[in-house]
Amino acid sequence: MVRDYLRREAVFVVSSAIILFFIAIGAARPDLLDAVSSAIHTVILDHFSWLYLISSFFFLLFVVGLALSKFGTIKLGHDAERPQYSFFGWIAMLFAAGMGIGLLFWGVSEPLIHYLQSPPFLTPETPAAAEFAMTYAFFHWGIHPWAIYTVVSLSIAYFSFRRGMPALISSCLYPVLGGRIYGPAGNLVDVLAVFATVFGTATSLGFGALQIHSGFTHLYGISSAISVTIGLIIIATALFMTSAILGVEKGVQILSKINIILACALLFFLLALGPTPYLFNIFSSTLGGYINNIIDLSLQSYPFSGNEWSREWTVFYWAWWTSWSPFVGLFIARISRGRTIREFVLSVLTVPPLFTFLWFSVFGGSALYLEQIPGVDLAAIAGTDISLVLFVFLEHYPFSALLSLIAIFLLIVFFVTSVDSATVVLSSLTSGGSMIVPLYKKVFWGLSLSTVAIILLVTGGLSALQVMAITAAFPFMIVMVILCYTLTIGLAQESVRQ
Amino acid sequence: MFEKTLVPVASGERPGELRKIGSILKSLGSGSVCLFHVNEAVSFFRGSDLSWLGPLAQALEDAGLSVEMKTGTGHIASAIAEAALMEGVDAVYMKAKRRWHLETMLLGSVSRDLLRLSDVPVFVHKLRPRLPDEEDRLGREDLIVLYATDFDAASVRPLPSVMEFQGARCHVLHVRRRMADPATERRRKEAVDGELHAVAEDLRPYFGWVTSEQRIGNPGVEALRVSDQISADVIVLGRKTPAFFSAPMGDTAERVVNESKASIFLVPHPGTPDGS
Repeated sequence: MVRDYLRREAVFVVSSAIILFFIAIGAARPDLLDAVSSAIHTVILDHFSWLYLISSFFFLLFVVGLALSKFGTIKLGHDAERPQYSFFGWIAMLFAAGMGIGLLFWGVSEPLIHYLQSPPFLTPETPAAAEFAMTYAFFHWGIHPWAIYTVVSLSIAYFSFRRGMPALISSCLYPVLGGRIYGPAGNLVDVLAVFATVFGTATSLGFGALQIHSGFTHLYGISSAISVTIGLIIIATALFMTSAILGVEKGVQILSKINIILACALLFFLLALGPTPYLFNIFSSTLGGYINNIIDLSLQSYPFSGNEWSREWTVFYWAWWTSWSPFVGLFIARISRGRTIREFVLSVLTVPPLFTFLWFSVFGGSALYLEQIPGVDLAAIAGTDISLVLFVFLEHYPFSALLSLIAIFLLIVFFVTSVDSATVVLSSLTSGGSMIVPLYKKVFWGLSLSTVAIILLVTGGLSALQVMAITAAFPFMIVMVILCYTLTIGLAQESVRQ
Repeated sequence: MFEKTLVPVASGERPGELRKIGSILKSLGSGSVCLFHVNEAVSFFRGSDLSWLGPLAQALEDAGLSVEMKTGTGHIASAIAEAALMEGVDAVYMKAKRRWHLETMLLGSVSRDLLRLSDVPVFVHKLRPRLPDEEDRLGREDLIVLYATDFDAASVRPLPSVMEFQGARCHVLHVRRRMADPATERRRKEAVDGELHAVAEDLRPYFGWVTSEQRIGNPGVEALRVSDQISADVIVLGRKTPAFFSAPMGDTAERVVNESKASIFLVPHPGTPDGS
């Protein structure tokens, strides 16, 4: 009986054992965990940072190529199937997937940090540094992340909706693994997806917890000790657990929708009260620079001067998006049934990135605008405490306390909804792709995510979060390259199939 | 299939070797041979003397074949391919020569070029079947033939030639890619089994034993593997239109020719850019 369970639940048993082992080592010997993860991270960056750049660019070319090829007309579902959601409803859900803690965390701080700590070949705090900062913020949050998500979501959607297989990463590897997807090889792929999702999501949760804490410290002067951050994570986890146990997922979904509306309201409030024409100028000129230089940006690692900068930023982002891709990919796949590949790819690669461009133009552009005013030194704050800068930035607007409270509310809800969605995805990945999952799995993954975030924060704070995101993403990036190959095989066999 | 065969020869060829080749061709049903030599740049020592062809022709005649001698000029493989067409032969016979890999890479190989250029079937004789000694003959009844097919027009075309080999055993092999999902894979497997069964039935009257199988993988690799497993003497293939990547990477036929220990019988497909 035990043997049957172990065979049936191999992915859950193995992945939970790995995560528990990680938690145990982190709790007992944080120094050892830090040393090991840093060593792996250094090896990956020293030898394979270029691979992140090339593979991400390849993913972009691959999905655009698919959309424009004869395969673009193939439906993600049966030929007669209609899309499950209206176009606008679908776009709104894509927004929801793209919006998250990251946008709030990095919206103000990333352009400011690039402006203040630009690569060695650029003089910091100059107009050229500002232009560079905005271009790279667009680049890191532009179409590449969505191309990465698209590779995973297209593969899952194609193999599950059109080929009738379970919504698992291992299903997408059937053309190369055959029946072995049901054995250790397939389980290994699903374990890698779980591993990437846990650390990718934990990284976001860590960012969120740090920023919520900074917001409370800034508003109410509460202690900035790490124990408070941990306490906040525990409270947010308790909120999530309550919703999971009481079965109020519908309530969480409503909360999520309110959050999107609030985030949009915050964006338009800042756009209206800020230097609106200046922000639109930033939007338009940065978009032009981004489109014009996209190939150079995609492959540029500044090997002669600034390679370190490229590793710390671009490689980190590409790894982070990769580690998020099973989670977001699965979500996007589920809502995209019945759409053609062309419609899917072109919409995913245009609408959410345009929204994030606007977000960064408003938040980052306003911050750079304020930076020009004598006496305002947001960049210096960003340089010392990334999580605090959003709240200092909001101080320069009317109703700043209310705006900060809204930001904290957004962060808390994003935190809870992220854990909620991630646990659903993790539970599904560890239950053979089924959407009906036992409660104990949801509870286990919810607790694990929060505990991993706490361990990482205690071990090394922000840098530990980044280290683990890069490390966890590396094996999955290789899986994604194989996904491109298997998807091509599947699509090429469409005529044989018919 | 081998009624009239073109045998290209180069200077330095030994009459004893030609006698063995004649014996093999005779056992494969050949009646006449066109001995063909492509003149290369005139040798400093030998000049344009072609008298060395006489003993070679005599060796073939000793094996019971009628022989005519022809010469050509230019690119060797192209000249052979052109002569094969002009002389109306049924097949070209080539004895594969062992060359270093680097030499083949740099200079190419006549047999490889010929496989690509010839409009008539080409038989490249490799290690198997072994050249018979003076006293014994190649026993056709011992011949093991591997017929690799993927059921398209190019690979169905060699079927009559396979029948004419009439050996001890014929193994029909179909190598394909795995389908993208288990249900389609199951249907595909059943369909291929049906087609293999039909081909095997067609071949049964001509061979003592006919077997068939389908495999998933690279056609070149699997054909070589199966050929070694069954100790095939001849691999029969149909030549296809070369794919874009076959120029730098080599195609299945080239790979099989380069690496196989069994002989290759390659049947071109008319209508292809290089085979019409």
